[in-house]
Amino acid sequence: MSLAAVMPPQVGQKPDPGMRPVISFHGVSKTYPNGTEAIRDVDLAIYQGDFCFVVGASGSGKTTLVRLLIREEVASTGRIFVDGQETTRMTRRRLPRLRRKFGIVFQDYKLLPKLTVAQNVAFALQVTKPGQRHLKEKVEETLWIVGLEDKLDTFPDELSGGEQQRVAIARALVHRPRIFLADEPTGNLDPDTSWGIVQLLLQINHRGTTVLMATHNREIVDLCRRRVIAIDSGRVVRDETEGGYLREGEATI
Amino acid sequence: MRGLLASVRFALVAAGQNFTRNLAVSLAGVFTMGLIMLLVGGTLLLTHTVDAILAQQETQADEIHIYLQDQLSMRTVADYELRFSHDSRVNGVAFTSKDQAVVAAQQRGLSLQPAINTLGTNPLPASIDLHVRTLGALGQLNTEAGTLPIVDNNSGHATDYSPGVIPRLQSVITVTVWVGSVLSVVLAVISLVIIMNTIRTAVYIRRTEIEIMKLVGAGDWFVRWPFILEGVFGGVLAAAIGATAVAVAYRFVLSQANTQAFLGVSFDGRYLTAMVVLLLAFGAVLGGFGSFLGVRRFLHA
Ligand SMILES: Nc1ncnc2c1ncn2[C@@H]1O[C@H](COP(=O)(O)OP(=O)(O)OP(=O)(O)O)[C@@H](O)[C@H]1O
Ligand SMILES: [Mg+2]
Repeated sequence: MSLAAVMPPQVGQKPDPGMRPVISFHGVSKTYPNGTEAIRDVDLAIYQGDFCFVVGASGSGKTTLVRLLIREEVASTGRIFVDGQETTRMTRRRLPRLRRKFGIVFQDYKLLPKLTVAQNVAFALQVTKPGQRHLKEKVEETLWIVGLEDKLDTFPDELSGGEQQRVAIARALVHRPRIFLADEPTGNLDPDTSWGIVQLLLQINHRGTTVLMATHNREIVDLCRRRVIAIDSGRVVRDETEGGYLREGEATI
Repeated sequence: MRGLLASVRFALVAAGQNFTRNLAVSLAGVFTMGLIMLLVGGTLLLTHTVDAILAQQETQADEIHIYLQDQLSMRTVADYELRFSHDSRVNGVAFTSKDQAVVAAQQRGLSLQPAINTLGTNPLPASIDLHVRTLGALGQLNTEAGTLPIVDNNSGHATDYSPGVIPRLQSVITVTVWVGSVLSVVLAVISLVIIMNTIRTAVYIRRTEIEIMKLVGAGDWFVRWPFILEGVFGGVLAAAIGATAVAVAYRFVLSQANTQAFLGVSFDGRYLTAMVVLLLAFGAVLGGFGSFLGVRRFLHA
């Protein structure tokens, strides 16, 4: 996958560490209506240009963290800031603008079944940037990046799981978001394709986009040596700037 | 501007998709609403036509004919005409001869020729016809006319005054207007409920899509417009169906009424056009508003 033509290396530098975090959690807890405590007393600061893995066992609260960020769910206690705005207090009317800052890959993809691959991607661009010029070219370019340039007019139902996942990634990328949120974006991909996607995320991160990626993919996390936030039963148990999937010295199988 | 155009195009396409994907429900809604529009339009036209008939009757109702004995001299008649023309309650005075009375009766559809032939004479009296300023004066003039030496009392009536007619006409008009208005309001509310539910079904079918759109960052109006346009489109379509049916029925009924029942009501093209425009606007507004209400629940859920 040659990306150089589409996404030239970024000219700027890593942001200076003294700046205000782009995302911050202050004592955030989330209890679902049925009583499940999915997130417990989380404090977090993520800076513009960070590349973060969020790791943790199934059910540890990774998806809930993403839902809180885009305010699909509201925190039960604590405060969350995105871009300096407190999302926990935001009115419903402001939500669209908050969500447009993100490119989101949902764990269950959330593709629109009645739209083709190209339409699914185009729609996200229409929503976030109405009247965007060269819509078709941008959509095709993004689908080419994820290797789906020959599936433009296919419907999601006619794609494999991994292909659907790549459509979801393309949809999250197409509007060049400030923050890229990916919930298990390589869950259905073979190692080569997974690695290709991670390379892509590293590139867009290199161009300044903040990337937050929840994953179970140990190999990728260990190879990248990036920031790792580990969650266990809703608590942040580890936050390392250059971590691995497991704590140093933790038993590996 | 480009953004607006793109959004409008997106909304139009989505509205069309909504309508066709959900064709059976959409068409059922449109036809039910078309029927209601037919009823609303029919009520409007009926009220208007009854009004027209009554108005015609009313212009005749401010007139009183004082029946005269035969063989009065023109001089005597002229004296009384002059007296009445000085009466402050009277607006206009005219004289109808016995022959003119026959012609007028024939114009109202009564054929007197057979009767005249059998009798050998004309049974209708001549009359002095008074136009009054207020309908209330009719009763007084009737009483006064009974005492005049020139009147013809053969038929038992000195004049053609019949006290019940005017209040009855007025109450018929009031009742028609009331029934028409109440019926239209009830039907409008029913249409609104039908549209709301049709759109609610459409929204329900697309609820996952709406949820995804919102998660990706679509605003309320982005989600709402397609449904509102669908509602407006359905409402206008329904109004067009209803209006066409009403217009056809109106033409047919009037031509029948005029040839068979001697009702002198003419086809009122201007009123019909105004009504069609009104129905279309009404359909658009009802459709849009109904959709707005139908989507609202889901958007805030
Ligand atoms: N809508 C919900 N209502 C109630 N409980 C929920 C809901 N969604 C998630 N949970 C619970 O919250 C906890 C955290 O769930 P979450 O989906 O965040 O985990 P996860 O880390 O994303 O897991 P996975 O790796 O399997 O995706 C789990 O115990 C789950 O059962
Ligand atoms: Mg999850």
